[in-house]
Amino acid sequence: MAEHHTASDCKHKTSSNAGGSVSGNGRPNSPAGCGGSGGLSGGLTQPAGWQSLLSFTILFLAWLAGFSSRLFAVIRFESIIHEFDPWFNYRSTHHLTTNGFYEFLNWFDERAWYPLGRIVGGTVYPGLMVTAGLIHYILNLLHVTVHIRDVCVFLAPVFSGLTAISTFLLTRELWNQGAGLLAACFIAIVPGYISRSVAGSFDNEGIAIFALQFTYYLWVKSVKTGSVFWAIGCCLSYFYMVSAWGGYVFIINLIPLHVFALLLMQRFSRRLYIAYSTFYIVGLVLSMQIPFVGFQPIRTSEHMAAAGVFALLQAYAFLQYLKDRLTRQEFQTLFFLGVSLAAGVVFLTVIYLTYTGESHLPVMLRYAKIHIPIIASVSEHQPTTWVSFFFDLHILVCTFPAGLWFCIKNINDERVFVALYAISAVYFAGVMVRLMLTLTPVVCMLSAIAFSSVFEHYLGDDMKRENPPAEDSKQDRPEEGLGPNIKSIVTMLMLMLLMMFAVHCTWVTSNAYSSPSVVLASYNHDGSRNILDDFREAYYWLRQNTDEHARVMSWWDYGYQIAGMANRTTLVDNNTWNNSHIALVGKAMSSNESAAYEIMKSLDVDYVLIIFGGVIGYSGDDINKFLWMVRIAEGEHPKDIRESDYFTPQGEFRVDKAGSPTLLNCLMYKMSYYRFGPYTRLDFRTPPGFDRTRNAEIGNKDIRLKHLEEAFTSEHWLVRIYRVKKQENRQALDHKLRNIAAKQKYTSKKVLPSLFH
Amino acid sequence: MAVFKGFPLNLLFASILLILLLCIQSGGGQKKKENMLAEKVEQMMEWSSRRSVIRMNGDKFRRFVKAPPRNYSVIVMFTALQPQRQCSVCRQANEEYQVLANSWRYSSAFSNKLFFTVVDYDEGADVFQQLNMNSAPTFMHFPAKGKPKRADTFDLQRIGFASEQLAKWIADRTDVQIRVFRPPNYSGTIALALLVSLVGGLLYLRRNNLEFIYNKTGWAMAALCVVFAMTSGQMWNHIRGPPYAHKNPQNGQVSYIHGSSQAQFVAESHIILLLNAAITMGMVLLNEAATSKGDVGKRRIICLVGLGLVVFFFSFLLSIFRSKYHGYPYR
Repeated sequence: MAEHHTASDCKHKTSSNAGGSVSGNGRPNSPAGCGGSGGLSGGLTQPAGWQSLLSFTILFLAWLAGFSSRLFAVIRFESIIHEFDPWFNYRSTHHLTTNGFYEFLNWFDERAWYPLGRIVGGTVYPGLMVTAGLIHYILNLLHVTVHIRDVCVFLAPVFSGLTAISTFLLTRELWNQGAGLLAACFIAIVPGYISRSVAGSFDNEGIAIFALQFTYYLWVKSVKTGSVFWAIGCCLSYFYMVSAWGGYVFIINLIPLHVFALLLMQRFSRRLYIAYSTFYIVGLVLSMQIPFVGFQPIRTSEHMAAAGVFALLQAYAFLQYLKDRLTRQEFQTLFFLGVSLAAGVVFLTVIYLTYTGESHLPVMLRYAKIHIPIIASVSEHQPTTWVSFFFDLHILVCTFPAGLWFCIKNINDERVFVALYAISAVYFAGVMVRLMLTLTPVVCMLSAIAFSSVFEHYLGDDMKRENPPAEDSKQDRPEEGLGPNIKSIVTMLMLMLLMMFAVHCTWVTSNAYSSPSVVLASYNHDGSRNILDDFREAYYWLRQNTDEHARVMSWWDYGYQIAGMANRTTLVDNNTWNNSHIALVGKAMSSNESAAYEIMKSLDVDYVLIIFGGVIGYSGDDINKFLWMVRIAEGEHPKDIRESDYFTPQGEFRVDKAGSPTLLNCLMYKMSYYRFGPYTRLDFRTPPGFDRTRNAEIGNKDIRLKHLEEAFTSEHWLVRIYRVKKQENRQALDHKLRNIAAKQKYTSKKVLPSLFH
Repeated sequence: MAVFKGFPLNLLFASILLILLLCIQSGGGQKKKENMLAEKVEQMMEWSSRRSVIRMNGDKFRRFVKAPPRNYSVIVMFTALQPQRQCSVCRQANEEYQVLANSWRYSSAFSNKLFFTVVDYDEGADVFQQLNMNSAPTFMHFPAKGKPKRADTFDLQRIGFASEQLAKWIADRTDVQIRVFRPPNYSGTIALALLVSLVGGLLYLRRNNLEFIYNKTGWAMAALCVVFAMTSGQMWNHIRGPPYAHKNPQNGQVSYIHGSSQAQFVAESHIILLLNAAITMGMVLLNEAATSKGDVGKRRIICLVGLGLVVFFFSFLLSIFRSKYHGYPYR
């Protein structure tokens, strides 16, 4: 472990060092360099050859460093899929490779959302699965037999290398080669990106960031050259992005924004016209080929900006054309006519949109954020504190504004793009933690620009200036004046900062982002390690010991894992599309046993699975999530579930004797603490029935279950599974001796004749 | 204010009535009671037709809210609105309460079954003492029959005082459904329109030299402002609304840095903003020193200042981070 740590550290250092030195050497190519070109070529016979060799080496090392620093989890544990969503992706990739592509597109999954089922083919972004399936197919074609799981595990680290290369290409277009290399090194190891792309985290974001960066590179390239070739390339890359991640909306808004800004800055050119027209039309058609996206690009308001800018660009180009053809007077009348017409059209559209309610989308989003607990309950949807910014980006977050400054000061078409990218991404990252991911690449690029321009001026050796061309000497002398001492101090300190960055990145990756969360590890006082493999133990038990069609009820967090590892039918899972179904499960968990039994009977539940951390002190268990279940259930069933019932009169959530009786008798509490009270005594300092997670002695130790029975409890009690008893036979009537009382007189009752007429 | 003018007279009237009532109590008690109830309801209706929230002092509170013959529910907000009390929460809660009361007052379902009242601490301190209340604002519901139970005190700490939540609570306690109608807030639109017209006016006045639009420094400054605001977590402040700084109640020490990595204070985010800006400025100065053409000594100083800014403030930032993120091993 330690060896690996230092090894990857060394790589980081070498790569950032080398990046720095190359940006010093890379001056001849720099468009914004300070003009002293030509001096370098004397020393080296073929500088271009050296440069490309160095670039290749550095990019290769960056790839290697990025790949190996993502392997912590694999080395510590094993090659395993992490977390929750990746299990679904893995399961569908498995389905794809065993049943073929068309079967996958038409897949109706009857094992999820029982009894509703889920149409998987039409509700996923298939890019990730298709990519993994394709790699698997090619490898098998070459007789490299690997299991699809290994392809899935190592997909994200491999793609991080591709991201590094596309970031290099993009930054080279924006600034120069040196900055590009630095940016590639940064993005290879920056925690903000590693958080979503460690080995085993088989998720859309892993490949989407590559697609994002590559699309942007091709876009900048096509704006620069104005060739249809690059624009078509950009469309194809955009198509890949659409197929991979819902974040494509960011691209389809940022590129029009760029075009619009360029129009405002009067930087319209034929190149821009060709690039955007091609991109919009072909990209639109391509993006509509993804079943999940469908007709959204021409219907929803997120895509309207692109259409509007397209129309504007056509109008602008048309006006430019007319300007050449008409006299000034004619042009003016035509212009006013056109503008008033356009204004009228825009006005009518706005009215139409207001009435159909499309433009209320942001309002509805805000409403949803406040009122639907299921959105609020996901921690990724929270705003970002400065600590998370610093944690994920370290020195880059303080230096990238400098890069932005340099870009705006030396503005050109593509730097407008990067400035807009930075500002919009930083806004979104501030609103939501998970969008830090889209900010990370631009931060890497701009920071690289800042560092590169510093290194460019301070790392350049003074030797080559000893024989400058005579006419340059006047301007060059003051630069020499800074002196080698100051220069080397600055360089040293900057390298120190970068070294700290590399160390920080490795530490964060190793400590925060490399836990599979399927397998837990705990450390003893002497540093030895215990592996807690309760999750897989329990899922495997389900797989082996239950009926193939058994239905397992659990909170939605564990739905994908149960489906993936235990291969059993679930009621709710992490694709939280049906709030009322989730609320029903939440209601079952938070009602008392007999009420819950009614719900479970109506949903055909065979087993109930819960996570309980009280024995080992695992804080992410179901009792800690319990309030969210109550809230979600309350949202749908306000008459039956009331959040305030689960609090003490003082407004506290307690599991001990002082806790509210509703809580102490609800199904979740009973299942969690069944057999926990009297029989377990974890150590001699604490009383029996002491919950280590909440540090409290539980309040209800005598728990009896009537409709459920314990089926399985894993080694550390982390997972507990209960079987729902089938309904008993009708309760037998108490046997009573027949007592014959005094004889009753039976008199025949005459039936009223009117009944029989 | 009309309520206050009428007040002594009412009191006089009420006390005379009371005395009279006491005298004739032994006679037709039941009938008098009904009469009194009708009068009370009439009085309450009259007040609430003037203002949607009825202001009460101690005597009125006892007579109309506490005293038994009642067939109407009363929601009471106990508060301290006087400026010298410095209760900013009370003012916000009062606004929400007014919104709710107005929604009820002007709704079609308005009836004499529910009244909204307010007791200010400076007008009815005795009520506070009587009810053993030591915090404001507090919302209480006095049901038509019987004494208020535990659930009749609104759980302000947990639910907050948004009028929708209050309406939900009232619906829960009294079966009166109130649809909260907020008067549309035009202030944002007006401010925007003002800003736009101001900018437009400025542009029109300076139409002869619009050079400043092309000023890159200005644009760069604006961009950096956005970036600094976001990276220092101002959006978090905006959404979560943390306090400016924390004052320890025991020893009066003011801490500007929140102890946990999950939260932050407003002051803290401002400090971080300044630190980030200083580091960026250091980087720019370093670059400036190397590229500008000027006196060598001056440039050396600029260079060293830039370097100092970067190194010093970054280590400062790192130490703040370390104090918040426990277990971070590097310094």
